[in-house]
Amino acid sequence: MSRTVAFAREQLRAPFTLALLIAIPALFVVSAAGVLSEFAGALGGSLAGDASVALSAGWAAAFISGALGFFQAASSRDADRRLALAGLGPVRVAASRIVASVLLSVVAAAAAFAALELRIDVAHPLHAAVAVLAFALLYLAIGVLVGSVIRAPLEGSLLVVFVFLLDAFAGPGMSGSPPAWAVSQKAADILIDAGTGIGSPTGDWVRLAIVTAGALAAAFCVFVAAARSRA
Amino acid sequence: MNARMTTATRLGFREQARRPLLLVLLVGLPFFFITRAIARTEPMPRLIGLPGGGEVLTTMKDVHGASMVTITVAFLAALCGAFVMRSAQSADRRLVVAGFRPLEAVLPRLFVLAAATGVMLVVSLAVTAMSFSPRSWPAFAVGNLLVGLTYACIGALAGVMLGQLGATYLVLFLAMLGTGILQNPMFGDGTPGGLALAFPDYGAGRIVIDGAFSGSFHAWGDLALALGWLAALGLAVVWVLRRLLRSAS
Repeated sequence: MSRTVAFAREQLRAPFTLALLIAIPALFVVSAAGVLSEFAGALGGSLAGDASVALSAGWAAAFISGALGFFQAASSRDADRRLALAGLGPVRVAASRIVASVLLSVVAAAAAFAALELRIDVAHPLHAAVAVLAFALLYLAIGVLVGSVIRAPLEGSLLVVFVFLLDAFAGPGMSGSPPAWAVSQKAADILIDAGTGIGSPTGDWVRLAIVTAGALAAAFCVFVAAARSRA
Repeated sequence: MNARMTTATRLGFREQARRPLLLVLLVGLPFFFITRAIARTEPMPRLIGLPGGGEVLTTMKDVHGASMVTITVAFLAALCGAFVMRSAQSADRRLVVAGFRPLEAVLPRLFVLAAATGVMLVVSLAVTAMSFSPRSWPAFAVGNLLVGLTYACIGALAGVMLGQLGATYLVLFLAMLGTGILQNPMFGDGTPGGLALAFPDYGAGRIVIDGAFSGSFHAWGDLALALGWLAALGLAVVWVLRRLLRSAS
């Protein structure tokens, strides 16, 4: 546990990082929600009203967590090599890093959800909260995957942004039929439904759980493999 | 430019050229996003405001075509600014310890950053030309160059003053809010106002719109505003970096 807290604190050492982690999701929801429905209309999508505000909270959590996951994995390589060599082992290093990232992602997701609650009266707040958290965890996993393979911050952050934009603008609300590779589509479906007062079918929840757990498991395995090869 | 600055500039370019993935992303990202965004946008009618008070009836597809170059260049230049400057800090400290004056280490980095912005701009304009033709290419290109350089400076400041994660959050959010929402005539009444006027890319963004939809240039005031912001941000970058390097020596 102390390792996890130390890893989380390591990311928050730089000035303003914690403030940005909380402020940006909230500001994103406030600023982007008003224009998302207009944007969706221009792309031929059907997103409107409270659904667009709800989706903006998911995107905010995703964007923050993706960058967070990338820097957790990429910037810690040298320290992790030393920790693994010192006897901690790659599995425990990976577990601590990912749990620390999950904790910070939960903070970002909570900020996005709080902004959503302040902006609109969410019909299904629990559904919305779970979907926002799923967005955050999915992108955390994507960030860790990229950060385990690519170390350079510019290239890695560009790649995370690339995946995010590709997924977000092909996803539900933005296009008529989201492609199968749009990883966040079930989280988006549930979030849009929660915003518009519709309960999501059980199949959507099951698929969301499988995709999110699968993404986190893949991130863990790739991180362990990367830490092992470094050790 | 003296011999030491020439050497530092050459080394700076060589350092960037050793990053093949970066070059692929800087070319591939604009190509993918601009073509995809324009292709997917519906040709719905859209009335937008031009600098000088005029209005023009165009389509959402064309407005998106014009604004995607700006958004792409702003995002990429801001990230390049943040990480080129951060990665250069330790090397530049060594240069200063070896006898370079701080300014002789800082200016070559700015040349590299301006060149990277220029490359992204050329790629973005070439991609845009396949599906959208602005009424005035020179004004359109100059406006986008000013947006790119402005965000490159913002990125450089953020990269030096905040950590990697904080800089990434800040520059991506500012680029999204500035070019993607506030200055974007796809939204609202088609004429940016209010908070948009306080953003450093306001003047440059208006030049882009003037170049995109007007055959004659009306944005002289916006050009002065954009150059003023760029000069202020450029001086701030030089001042902050010189101070850091002086403290290192």
